[in-house]
Amino acid sequence: MMYRLKKYKMPLVYLVLIAGLFLSIFPYFWMVLSSFKVSGEIYTRLWPTKLTLSNYAFILKGGTGQERNFAGSIVNSLIISLIPTMSVVFFGMLTAYALRRIKIWGYQFYENLIVYQMLFPGVLFLIPLFLMMRDWGMINKFSGMIMRYLIDPWAIFIYVQFFKTIPESLLEAARIDGASEFKIITRIMLPLSKTTTAIVVLFTFMARWSEFLWPLIVNKDYGKMPLSVLLALFTKGEYQTYPGVQMAGATLLTLPIVILFLAFRKYFEEGISFTGLKG
Amino acid sequence: MESNLAERRNVSAKNLIGYLFCSPYLIFTLVLWLYPFLWGIVISFKKWNLISPRQSWVWLKNYLDVLKDPMLWVMVRNSIYFMVVFTTLTTITSLGLALLIKQVPKKYTGFFVTGFLLSYVSSGVAYSMVFNLLFAGDGLVNNLLKTIGLKVGWFTNPKIAMASIAMIVCWKFTGYYGLFFLAGLNNIDPTLYEAAVIDGANAWQRFKKITVPLLNPTFIMIIVFATITSFNLFTEPYMITNGGPMNATRTMMLEIYHRVFALLQAGYGSALAIVSAIITFGFVWTFRKLFERDDLYDV
Repeated sequence: MMYRLKKYKMPLVYLVLIAGLFLSIFPYFWMVLSSFKVSGEIYTRLWPTKLTLSNYAFILKGGTGQERNFAGSIVNSLIISLIPTMSVVFFGMLTAYALRRIKIWGYQFYENLIVYQMLFPGVLFLIPLFLMMRDWGMINKFSGMIMRYLIDPWAIFIYVQFFKTIPESLLEAARIDGASEFKIITRIMLPLSKTTTAIVVLFTFMARWSEFLWPLIVNKDYGKMPLSVLLALFTKGEYQTYPGVQMAGATLLTLPIVILFLAFRKYFEEGISFTGLKG
Repeated sequence: MESNLAERRNVSAKNLIGYLFCSPYLIFTLVLWLYPFLWGIVISFKKWNLISPRQSWVWLKNYLDVLKDPMLWVMVRNSIYFMVVFTTLTTITSLGLALLIKQVPKKYTGFFVTGFLLSYVSSGVAYSMVFNLLFAGDGLVNNLLKTIGLKVGWFTNPKIAMASIAMIVCWKFTGYYGLFFLAGLNNIDPTLYEAAVIDGANAWQRFKKITVPLLNPTFIMIIVFATITSFNLFTEPYMITNGGPMNATRTMMLEIYHRVFALLQAGYGSALAIVSAIITFGFVWTFRKLFERDDLYDV
């Protein structure tokens, strides 16, 4: 290819890339390292003289039974992340199948509607949705934190894009064999859309796990707070002077999504070309 | 005739199943999308403290209050500041990253892409906490700068606090947009470069005349994203600066949160939300009109 640099310049390319990678990963590295340091050494020295687990011990059992049950908040985070993730995948597939494969009456209208829904800024819905949750008695409940995230137009859009590429003959064959439409989804579409589903799972789980503003607004019950909110409130409050504990908490908040990302990274790179942007 | 009838019956049976599959989405759209959207508009015409049953109509008063409040222009200014810094920084870092990765043999690209994407998956609360400590007055970065006799109030100097936030958001998104630029670069037909070389174009000319125009969709994407983010920024300023110092990092979202959930001004907050959405749309529309081109290949 014409566009390649001359060979002697390649070491420079690697040097810049490695330096960039260092900057990109260093905050993580520093976070994890600091979470094992004694508080006095966090600001003053990069390499600790001794490592300690006390920050984690403090965060995981320091407040059990009181209002800072971090172990419990991890479970809460899992609840408000996993339920929407499963629901978004299920209804995303179901709706996209009806629109793109069954082509129900008016499907083009609905597909356009979905694009509009993706573009509408969330700020418009914040206050009325909060009021609805309040009127429905869902404040301080998991249902209030989860409800609005059970269906995601973005996921439907992604599945519609993918279902366009599946040949109709495959579905016809199944129909002749007597398979119901629902069976076609679970037996044919689901296994075929592994990459798409992996991307929907990854992005949805990431967004829900990191969610901050919405659970901050609809839930004031410490016992139901997800990790992100509990950590933020205590960082701004009484943990301000405990940087080691803060970094232990930040590590716990970061770790699950990093692991999920590393496990799913091959789908991520495959899928990014057709899935488009997701802020 | 008979087969026609059977076919029609088949179509309506399919429609029935299809609408059954769609019904959760349709109900969701009516109840949790259309209804709150309309209600939000209604509330913006009312004066209401969220609690009392009295909701009196004040029509445009909330909007006039929003437009008269000098804070609105402070927030718009902050957002534009963020947009400019974030777009510039992120374009440089992610385009640079994509150009560099493009030079690397295929077997190593996966490693670099994965490495640079790690920052993208970080959670807003967690990375705000980390950068807050790293860039603190006596934090690691200032300790390093001290060796050359500098000390920067990253989040405490009102002149640069918003730029610092733009910088950490750029840290998060460099790998992500780098991936889009890389996809854009891979889509460019290599024969274009070959033809340009035969015509005697040097590297800079090729970059300016081929690469940049053909990456237009990716540039537009970053600009649109930066615009939307700049008005919706919440977690980072909430965690690090609380809108300060001297309102330098106050954003629409922070203000709405404050007005509605601390001061209980539901009407004012709703009007502000709608104004903020209109301003965002205005910016996005203008930028697309100015920069977007749909004639990529007939240069």
